[in-house]
Amino acid sequence: MIELVNVKKVFNAGNPSEFSALNSVNLEIAQNKVTVLKGPSGSGKTTLLSIVGCMSRPSAGRVKLNGREITSLPERFLTDIRRTTFGFIFQQPNLIKGISVLENVMLPAYPLGEKRAHLKMKALNGLAGLNLSSKASSQVEWLSGGEAQRVSIVRALINDPSIIIADEPTAHLDTKLSYRFMEIVEKFKAEGKTVIITSHDPLVYDSAMVDHVVNLRDGKIEDE
Amino acid sequence: MTPWIEKQRYIIDFTISSLLRRKVKNIGLLTLYTLIVFILASTMFFTHSIKKEAAIILQGSPEIVVQKIIAGRHDLFPISYIDSIKSIRGIANVETRLWGYYYDSLVGANYTLLSPPDNSGTTQLSGKTTAVETDPDDAEALAATKPLFEYNGALLEPGTLIIGNGVSRMRNISKGDYMPFMAADGQIMNLKVSGTLSSSSELVSSDLILITDEDFRKLFGIAPQFVTDAIVTVKNPNEVSMVAGKIKKRLLDSRPIIRDEILRTYDSIFNWRGGMMIVIFSAAVLAFVIFAWDKASGLSAGERREIGILKAVGWETSDVIQMKFWEGAMISLTAFFTGVILAYIHVFFAGSPVFEPALKGWSSLYPNFALTPFINAEQITTLFFLTVVPYTVATIVPTWRAATIDPDSAMRQTGE
Repeated sequence: MIELVNVKKVFNAGNPSEFSALNSVNLEIAQNKVTVLKGPSGSGKTTLLSIVGCMSRPSAGRVKLNGREITSLPERFLTDIRRTTFGFIFQQPNLIKGISVLENVMLPAYPLGEKRAHLKMKALNGLAGLNLSSKASSQVEWLSGGEAQRVSIVRALINDPSIIIADEPTAHLDTKLSYRFMEIVEKFKAEGKTVIITSHDPLVYDSAMVDHVVNLRDGKIEDE
Repeated sequence: MTPWIEKQRYIIDFTISSLLRRKVKNIGLLTLYTLIVFILASTMFFTHSIKKEAAIILQGSPEIVVQKIIAGRHDLFPISYIDSIKSIRGIANVETRLWGYYYDSLVGANYTLLSPPDNSGTTQLSGKTTAVETDPDDAEALAATKPLFEYNGALLEPGTLIIGNGVSRMRNISKGDYMPFMAADGQIMNLKVSGTLSSSSELVSSDLILITDEDFRKLFGIAPQFVTDAIVTVKNPNEVSMVAGKIKKRLLDSRPIIRDEILRTYDSIFNWRGGMMIVIFSAAVLAFVIFAWDKASGLSAGERREIGILKAVGWETSDVIQMKFWEGAMISLTAFFTGVILAYIHVFFAGSPVFEPALKGWSSLYPNFALTPFINAEQITTLFFLTVVPYTVATIVPTWRAATIDPDSAMRQTGE
């Protein structure tokens, strides 16, 4: 379970351009459930998601992961948690150009020093699971938008994370591909993973598989 | 294989693929970098070897040369001074020399004319001056007594001369040809070439012409009671400076020049020439430094984005820095070794065509000789620390700055 206590995030603190993205957010995210952070642009969804995913630190407040306070951990430990606990699906596929689909998928596992043959097998299985086997050796520049999105999902799963974080995953997908994405999310849920999604797409937050919708506005959680 | 080694392999593999992804930029950088190392290493190899070469050849030069000085200028040396020098304790032998420079207006070159010691005819051994016999097993002593030039058995007699290889090339003449000179009295002297000097000593004998005592005096208008200078052999090499001091004390208008001073002069000439080369190329070096600094320190938007992605997917700051370190090290080491190897081939095998005119020879006479490879480890190390280390550091610093930024920047990427 993830617990946020009185979390604040201020950008450009002390400058005239100081901006408060999150104001005293208290939130509990349940395990093995699908949670959607909903809200208009600038409401603080992505900021909240990045704090939950150990990608940035709150300016104030505490974040607990399975009861363990992680806010004050040094960067090394945060990276370790990020690498083993979270899988990230970005708004853009954020794949590295010039290298193959397979290499992109294997990238998050490089720092773990896993055996190459084993890692390659895992990556190929992941690609097969999303019908991308034929694209394994292709350069990422040649992929369509939907394919690139699915590759980024396989990459997010390579270290077998227990929590999947997706930032506006359907923002650049058409309706058909968005439904396809939600099917994948359903599969994650069935496998017992926790899924946290930010979205202002009704196709996502109105979906039957979503267990909890958190409404954000101006950096605060609105009452449901 | 331990996970640590496997991790390093992954990082190195990814680094190589990163380098290949920016082929044009990296090949351009590598070429320029290699060129700079090549220029610096060539100059270093050349200057160092030529100095070594000169030092080895000059081992055979006289221990002390005594000149006469009038008002700070070199003047003709009276033969009557010889007896005074000979009477100094510790001197083994005194010989006189006749030599001078001759300007050849036809080709615009200066020749060094020398009457070999045996032809001057003024050396007389007395009870006080006994020549020291050389031990045939002592290589150093043999080298010291070896003549500066060898003329391969050619016979020097009045009306003939023996020329250095540079003169031979410049005038396109060889054995049997005639060479005209204008004597001091305005008459033309036509001397026959009876041989050429050995090419092994070409560094110092390229512009040399050997001529008999008689012809020399006629050409330069020097009276029989004068010579150009005298060369002194000392019994104990440790006493060379002491003997030089005694000569100076006894003959106030004399100037004794010891061999070490000649070696020092050669050293400073070639140091100066090498220094000039580096000064000339310093503009190129500076241009490279600016270029390399710009390329190495300024991460492009694409590279920043890539670092953001790597961090977001779970790479640590140290992994990213390690990757960039390998990238910088690969480029700089490749450039360094390629540049040094090319410079080695250029200087020691190809005869350094790029630097030849600036670094060796003088006037318009250039010696033609193959340098023996001498490499100074200190210079190579200096070059290494001046090129590889700054570049590698320059690549790490900006990466460290970029890599310590929160990885959530990757999440905020809105477009490619």
